[in-house]
Amino acid sequence: MSRIVEAYIGEYASGKSECAINRALELARLRREEVLSRVRKALEYRQALEVRGGKLEVGNLEGIRLANSPRRFHTSNLLSPTSKNRRFRVASGVTLVDLDVVEPFWTLRPLKKEIEAKGITVIAWDREDAEGLGEAGTVLKPAARWALARQGDVILDVGYGVGGARVLEIIEGYPENADLRVFAVINASRPMTATVQDIVDHVHNLGRVDGLVNNTHLGEETDSTVVQEGAKLVTAAARVLNIPVVATAAVDRVAALIGPRDCEGNPVRPLRRFMPRGFW
Amino acid sequence: MQVSPAMPKSWRRDTKPHKFCPGCGHGLALKALGEAIDELGIQDKAVFGCDIGCSLLAWDFFNVDTVQTHHGRTIPVMTGMKRARTELVCIAYMGDGGGYAIGSQHMVNAAARNEKITAILINNTQYGMTGGQMAPTTMPGQKTETTPYGRDPEVAGYPTKGPEMVAAITDERAYVARGTIARPRQLKEFMKKALQNQLDGRGFSFIEVVSACPTNWRTNAKETWYWVEKTLPTYFPVGELKVPEALRAGGGAKNG
Amino acid sequence: MGEGPITEEKRMFMTGNETVAWAALAAGAEIMYGYPITPQNEIMHYWTRLAPKHGRLFLQTEDELSAGFTTVGGVLGGRRAFTATAGPGNVLMQEPVSMAEMMRLPIVIVVMQRGGPSTATVIYSQQEVTLTTLGGNGEGFRIVYSPSTNQELFDYTIKAFNTAWRYRFPTFVLADGYQAKLREPLTIYDPAARGIKMVPTEAYTGRPGTPGIDRPPGQYRNTYNTEEELYEVILGLAAEYEKMAAEVAEYQSFGTEDATVVVVAHGVVARAAKDAVEKLRKEGLKVGYFRPVTLRPLPLAELRAVAGSAQKLLIAESAYGQLARLVKEAIYGTKTEIVPLYKPGLGVTSEEIYARAREIVA
Repeated sequence: MSRIVEAYIGEYASGKSECAINRALELARLRREEVLSRVRKALEYRQALEVRGGKLEVGNLEGIRLANSPRRFHTSNLLSPTSKNRRFRVASGVTLVDLDVVEPFWTLRPLKKEIEAKGITVIAWDREDAEGLGEAGTVLKPAARWALARQGDVILDVGYGVGGARVLEIIEGYPENADLRVFAVINASRPMTATVQDIVDHVHNLGRVDGLVNNTHLGEETDSTVVQEGAKLVTAAARVLNIPVVATAAVDRVAALIGPRDCEGNPVRPLRRFMPRGFW
Repeated sequence: MQVSPAMPKSWRRDTKPHKFCPGCGHGLALKALGEAIDELGIQDKAVFGCDIGCSLLAWDFFNVDTVQTHHGRTIPVMTGMKRARTELVCIAYMGDGGGYAIGSQHMVNAAARNEKITAILINNTQYGMTGGQMAPTTMPGQKTETTPYGRDPEVAGYPTKGPEMVAAITDERAYVARGTIARPRQLKEFMKKALQNQLDGRGFSFIEVVSACPTNWRTNAKETWYWVEKTLPTYFPVGELKVPEALRAGGGAKNG
Repeated sequence: MGEGPITEEKRMFMTGNETVAWAALAAGAEIMYGYPITPQNEIMHYWTRLAPKHGRLFLQTEDELSAGFTTVGGVLGGRRAFTATAGPGNVLMQEPVSMAEMMRLPIVIVVMQRGGPSTATVIYSQQEVTLTTLGGNGEGFRIVYSPSTNQELFDYTIKAFNTAWRYRFPTFVLADGYQAKLREPLTIYDPAARGIKMVPTEAYTGRPGTPGIDRPPGQYRNTYNTEEELYEVILGLAAEYEKMAAEVAEYQSFGTEDATVVVVAHGVVARAAKDAVEKLRKEGLKVGYFRPVTLRPLPLAELRAVAGSAQKLLIAESAYGQLARLVKEAIYGTKTEIVPLYKPGLGVTSEEIYARAREIVA
């Protein structure tokens, strides 16, 4: 799996943060599985070496960010990214960046610790950082500005509608970053993006968009019909815009009902809901 | 038989004589305004907003729709009305305290936004209705109830130069002038141009009127006129500060 | 109907602020005046996006004094006009509102409460209850709705315009920062399609004809010379206010008939209160729920009846007793005990209300 750099943009309250968090978690899981499979291979290799009386060199574990000696590998430790013993900690290599400069303390902030516990590096203001910043604290965290310079996967949660998409302009390395893909999250149950034409107009206003995510939902009232209707509208809009629909996102309960593909053939990404525990 | 003095057609005769003190400048300014309304034929679409302070006494002065607002808030009320009803001619009438002190943010921002209203400000160098306190326009050395030893510029600064400020922050669509009750015909011409600027949909218009308050100045007629004609113009020069090209062609008023 | 901003009734997912903008549009509001302050900004953001598409207007003013007074100007011109604010902006807004009270001007103000006093937080509170119900240098002759869901924000914003123009008192929709940002589904509709007739507006100034010739001039003042003159005016306002109070007051309640403890809450806290009381009643406990929807005027008779039968009122609010103060005045003379659950500037959860009510129920 090559490096993934994705920015989630879209209308205010379209569900960008939810999609971004879930995507980061999905990548973290995939990356850990990747590491684990390599470790398993390494262990097998070591066993094979030991059988032959050889010794494992750290260099054989290419791509695995481990400082510890190969002898101490235990897959159980690797499953715990927060293990107190740093030697056993495996970073997923996934960074989630909160680029909501308008309401930075209202989005990922309450969730930061929880997401970090899952092995993701979160670049967002902490509650402690907020002291003295006042008002909504329209400020860009310096680390966020350099987020694209990080190794590993980077997921950018770009807040606040059209103005938010412009935030990408102030990120170092944009737009020459070859890995970056900008995805617009669309909830067709929102009045400003409720028709194919509205979605097309909206995406035009966002600037650069490389793909759409259908995130049509009605909160607690979401059922598969709502999501599928959204899939039809978003897919039709994507055809007009000549860009792909990257995924249909739906809460896991509904995603299970729909299956791996929606009615338009787009892959379905199950969402675990985090944002209700955010402020808004 | 009583002979009724000549009054502008747009005045309400049943509310005359008006409520201002003898020798007050408001009557002269409102006469110039009344004549301007008559000559432009806008009595049916003019709305007169008066501030708190002595200007509030004009709430039933004209046969024109009138709103008495709060101290300093006549500009926003007239702005809101003009934005909602562009066909009306909205006139915000206030004193120096209302326009340059408590409502100065409204004056500055309405001017900067080029609101298509006409603001008329009576400069009588003190707060008349509250009993003669220092105003932004009080002259250096002038005694008022809150500057009993005279206004000390070191303590209280120099008088506000309103039209100069408004001229500085408006663009070429604005009309800005300082008139005086000592030259009623010129004042009427200024008012006509100010209202015409609004009628043309061009932009903000502002007139400061150098006026008199013999009651609080404690001056007799002679002293009052000396102040208005000689003393005040040394600091508050009378004339047009900003005239849009389209209003210049008509001529009429002269500077000075 | 096809002309209106909402052509068909539909289920939508929106934030509270956005809901207000759509509701104002649906209500036929013609112009909004506003000044930025968090957490109400998106009302302006959505209004400015939507308004030009439907021939509506917007003016961004220099402060909330100006936002309030320009709204006054728009209403005097006969337009359905509104503004929105919060916290320190609501403080400034009280000056134009007092003018509207005195001169019976139907301005509509949406308030999204934030933490106070002072600048405090931009996030949430119910600390603007006293200010919104009784602010200004007068007698509080205004109407205050306290919605608790996005659906109610939509319904009551529309209703606020009608109440204002029907009774000619300034009318508030008092919500809060949580509601402003809350995302939940609601049904948006064209009022006409639901049989809701918008009360026609009427110009105070600039009516047809030349004043003094075709009609008397419209001349409006708020200054009076003598105590007696003012006294007459205020008594007149009070009589008009009291006459409409019973028609305007609204509330919701359940389980109060047999309750020994009644939980009283308004706005977003009433949601938590409702959940808590439902749970307690399922457990067979004699707990009731009372939610004033109008904080001014309060549903006096109903509140007094509840206070007369219950032993205790548990008042839950995100303020230090502002709702309680209104309730105490309303129920003066009854023997009910008031039990406070005050969390100024903090949300109140149904668990907290449940636990406290359980503790005090006999």
